[in-house]
Amino acid sequence: MQPRIVTLNVNGRRHQAALNPNVTLLYALRDLGYTDVKNGCEIGECGACAVLLNGQPVNSCMVLAWQVDGAEIITNSGLGMMDNPHPLQEAFADTGAVQCGFCTSGMIISAKALLDRNPHPTEREIREALSGNLCRCTGYGQIVEAIQMAAKAMNNGSMSNEQPGGGR
Amino acid sequence: MKYTAKPLPPVELPELRQVGQPLRRVDALGKAVGATIYGADFSMPHMLHAKVFRSTEPSARIKRLDVSCAKALPGVVCVLTSEDAPNAKLTTDMPGQTGRAARAGSDAPVLAGDKVRFVGEPIALVAAETQALAERALELIEIEYEPLPGVFDPVEAIKPGAPVIFEPDNVVARWKIRKGNVEAGFAAADMIVENTFRMPFVEHVYLELESGVAWVDEQGVINIRAGTQVIEHFRNIARAVGVPQNKIRVRGTLVGGGFGGKEDITVEIFLALLAKHTHRPVKLVYTREESFIAQSKRHPFIITHRTGVKKSGRITAAEIEMIADSGAYPYLSPYVLLYATIMASGPYRIDNLRVDSVVAATNQPFTSAFRGFGGPQAAVAYEQQMDEIAKALDLDPLEVRRVNYIKTGERNGTGQVITSATWLEESATRALEALGEKTPNHGSVKVGWGFASYFQSYGRITWFHDTSRAWVGVEMDGTVVIRCGAPDIGAGQINSLCQIAAEILGVGLKDVTIHSTDSAVTPLAGTSTATRQLYMSGSAVFQAASTVRDVLLDRASKHFEEEPENLDIADGMVFVKESANQRTSESANRRIGEQASQTRSFADSLPLKKLVAMCAAEGLPLSNLALFTAPFTDGIDPETGQGDVFPDFTFGTQAVEVAVDTETGEVTVLKSVACHDIGRAINPAAVVGQIAGGSHQGLGYALTEEYVMESGVTKTPSLAEYLIPTSLDFPTTKVIILESGSGLGPFGAKGIGEPALTPAAPAVANAVADAIGVRIHELPFTPKRVLAALDRIRD
Amino acid sequence: MLPEFNLLMPKTLPEALEMLADGAPDVMPLAGGTNLIPDMRGGYHSPGVVVNIAGLEELHGIRQEDGHIVIGGGVTIAELLDDPLITQHAPVLKEAAAAFGNALIRNRATVGGNLVDAAPCADTVPPLLALNAEVELVSKEGARRVPLEEFIVGARQTLRQPQELLVAIRWPVPPPHSAGAFRKLGLRKAACMAKVDVAVVVEGDAGGRCRQARIAMGAVAPRHFRAHAAEDLLRDQPLTPETIAEAARLAAEASRPRSGSEYKLQVVEGLVRRLLTRAAGSICE
Repeated sequence: MQPRIVTLNVNGRRHQAALNPNVTLLYALRDLGYTDVKNGCEIGECGACAVLLNGQPVNSCMVLAWQVDGAEIITNSGLGMMDNPHPLQEAFADTGAVQCGFCTSGMIISAKALLDRNPHPTEREIREALSGNLCRCTGYGQIVEAIQMAAKAMNNGSMSNEQPGGGR
Repeated sequence: MKYTAKPLPPVELPELRQVGQPLRRVDALGKAVGATIYGADFSMPHMLHAKVFRSTEPSARIKRLDVSCAKALPGVVCVLTSEDAPNAKLTTDMPGQTGRAARAGSDAPVLAGDKVRFVGEPIALVAAETQALAERALELIEIEYEPLPGVFDPVEAIKPGAPVIFEPDNVVARWKIRKGNVEAGFAAADMIVENTFRMPFVEHVYLELESGVAWVDEQGVINIRAGTQVIEHFRNIARAVGVPQNKIRVRGTLVGGGFGGKEDITVEIFLALLAKHTHRPVKLVYTREESFIAQSKRHPFIITHRTGVKKSGRITAAEIEMIADSGAYPYLSPYVLLYATIMASGPYRIDNLRVDSVVAATNQPFTSAFRGFGGPQAAVAYEQQMDEIAKALDLDPLEVRRVNYIKTGERNGTGQVITSATWLEESATRALEALGEKTPNHGSVKVGWGFASYFQSYGRITWFHDTSRAWVGVEMDGTVVIRCGAPDIGAGQINSLCQIAAEILGVGLKDVTIHSTDSAVTPLAGTSTATRQLYMSGSAVFQAASTVRDVLLDRASKHFEEEPENLDIADGMVFVKESANQRTSESANRRIGEQASQTRSFADSLPLKKLVAMCAAEGLPLSNLALFTAPFTDGIDPETGQGDVFPDFTFGTQAVEVAVDTETGEVTVLKSVACHDIGRAINPAAVVGQIAGGSHQGLGYALTEEYVMESGVTKTPSLAEYLIPTSLDFPTTKVIILESGSGLGPFGAKGIGEPALTPAAPAVANAVADAIGVRIHELPFTPKRVLAALDRIRD
Repeated sequence: MLPEFNLLMPKTLPEALEMLADGAPDVMPLAGGTNLIPDMRGGYHSPGVVVNIAGLEELHGIRQEDGHIVIGGGVTIAELLDDPLITQHAPVLKEAAAAFGNALIRNRATVGGNLVDAAPCADTVPPLLALNAEVELVSKEGARRVPLEEFIVGARQTLRQPQELLVAIRWPVPPPHSAGAFRKLGLRKAACMAKVDVAVVVEGDAGGRCRQARIAMGAVAPRHFRAHAAEDLLRDQPLTPETIAEAARLAAEASRPRSGSEYKLQVVEGLVRRLLTRAAGSICE
């Protein structure tokens, strides 16, 4: 087994790493510092490792890094930062959708993918899109609300920080 | 049956500015943007990777253990067995800062020596340069077991002749309650109803796996950065590792879910031992499969109720037997059993009560704390029993509750007087009313309604003499700092502390920063367990902040020439309250001739920053370290179980509507409503999240979560086999918050973390029984069990 | 972490077939990875050589050709959900795709992967059996077509040789007045392994009579199967509540659940009855 140089374009940054063939995208990303991509089960059941792969949400724990040489990868931390969060990240923070926070990055990736292809999802469509992301803390209700709130904000073209209760 | 919400007693709660607002939590944005560094996200230079070698036998003697090949693998730096740490014992007794001596016999070996007692028991530790090498090293460890007889059922375990896991007879603990005269009570009954209920193991499934990093610093202090519910474990860790207590520092992270599963020590001692031996940083991260077999579970219980009742539904006597499974080591079993025993009879006034409970050891994963701590199991039994009583007497289920609900001022099963509001009928009628119109049956689908009222303690057992500490200070620019040891496991523990301090010191939430969860640096605030943090640490912060406020307003009173109670602080400004202004204006008019008048304007105010500078210049203390103590009591009477046990209780009701497909056995929850009196909501969004989330866990307990054990082997050790609710499984529980203001916590708050889960599973149980006309006595209600129950009534 | 293996990255199908031939028998193809990667991690598979076929153009695409629908072995479950040919001609397969795994898994899991893994709970198998599908296997030596019913020989056992790739699945476009339906029973509402899988396809006539029915089951016997006795009963018969009920009974009778899972018989009977009833209602449209 020999390593090879793999190019991963992550959140707009180009990385090159020498990786063995048996390294999954999950481990490759975390070793590159993208610790927002979480390991919750490694068998595709929990969704904590979800990333956008060429725009599609996938479990990075079941993708080999070599398989995505040259691909465009987006992780949650690439969508926004503390001083300039993405509307989804803001909405999650504001609705109580974040409790322990461990599922949050994967949830936001699935939500982003949903809103990219369906900007006006019904509640059922939201829940379907989240079927691969487990949450043990919230019961999903506030997560659904957050996505609805973000959808509104994104459809209005609003990237405002003026959310009720934000930052007070 | 139509239900109408019973009007609430009038309550006047003071208006607050920060508390009671659904503000964005202080930890929320960091988590939302993926910036929060959990246990496994942290790395140090030259860090090693650790793995744990675990038993594959449930009951065996270790005939031969040879780690030499593992040690010889290049890149493996350290392999430890019990020989390297023969005195390393894991005190599985109750954690916390009480410092009371551990019970004898409750210790588990950190690394098994001659015997293993459950599949997953740790035997050896490996530290290597990479995770792959550590995994490879595990494969090179050679072991020979001599299987021994095992016992896998607590009922069998206490029979004479059973293999002994816990000397002398596998009985880990017993409790009893003897109140009133049960024989007389049964004699006075019109009817006696008897039922037995069974509940299985349950897995916590926190999303974040057990993980951490440890290193030895330049003072020789072993630092452990890990997700834990209890930083006070540093004392137990020190003892197990063989170092003084001041040479262990637990830096708790924000935890990705705990639910009681991170209440006991998980990775900390392993990390400390390896860091000590290698003098390099070490990281340990469990796999999900490992988490299933290695860490604690909810106690399986078998609970039998025998209840004497009058035709009116009034209970005349209750006799309850409970047997629980502690798994291979005691851990917190004696206390889980105690909770279950105390809550065995439910939120009802029962004058003649006999409870006998026992928890026994088996060769299965050890059971310990899990949200509710015996309370949910007790509720699964007592609420189904209440519905069975209603059925036997042909009474409405709510009527049976109504004539038995305990009221403020009455005594519970241990004779403790309930001092706070109960509002049980209020919560039950509201939950039922919110179910709306009953969905009609259609085809083979039968619809049922069910509800469960409950009570669940908040605050720890009072004979533990629980305390919490917090430090609050104001910086020169008027911003506020809190230092408090409280771990945040996702429920918003640290945010609540910030909102409380913001309220009292008149600043915005954004002006408060909290430093938490460091056993060396932040005042110890006790465990994030037992629904105690808001009550205990919230009160400590309340006290500390109030003391600082008093200093500030005392100084300000000289500035304004006003009594401190006429002053207030808000939005970073100190000012004379409006009502005081009017009086002052009148008296100012009178005094105009007496002294140089100051212009008393409506906006007579002083920036907090300036007041702080004035205080600092005069050497006034702008910070305070507060110690809050819960009531201290002595233990209950061992013969009668009578005595005060908890500071207080939370009460509420959950109601659900379910549809049962009688052809496939599938159960669908159509509606779910939960109504809890939480005293006072510090952050309503957090309260809703706790109730909705706890309810979901309870719905999973009732319907989807089946933990299968076969002769000590877990058959469902993955998230593909052990099924927690997904986004599509249940509707979001509608939450109705009641605020009686009668809690012991800050601003009259009670606790909600555990109570949120307790009524959900029994509500579903009652709804399913209502739908199909027959009761299923064992959780969860899988299609197989539902169809079997339907077969029983067909025959 | 995964065990060690050599990973080969072919750019074309012939290259891949060459690599499989060279590596056989200790070689496995990797597409979506949703079975193989967890299986390697869990020690169920440990091939010395893995051939990545995920990007191969030749394995993609859904088309209609010679009165058949043909899908490439590398088509993902998500692609099935979105495809108009599947929506129009194979709603039974679309229903199974919607119930398959979870939203994330569907973006990677392939139909070919589901078939060659042949787990008893594989959700695409019953619909494809009910569509009378056959699989196309290709190796360096040549190609062969095998009816799906013969391809799966046991739990996780198929006729595929290590050097073969499942490149396509094809089935005849159902004639007018056909209808199909699929239903899965699991222990939760989504994202779970099937405890019972049932699929039916009914080819009828304008009068609502059944010309031919195909009833396929999964997870209720050691391997997937078609309930031929039930199908024979319905051949050229009107679809009445009586004939449907009898067919359902025969389908249950043909099931062989494991000891302790006898409840599945009742579920099979109920679901087959419902699916046939639903299909009967649709075929006149």
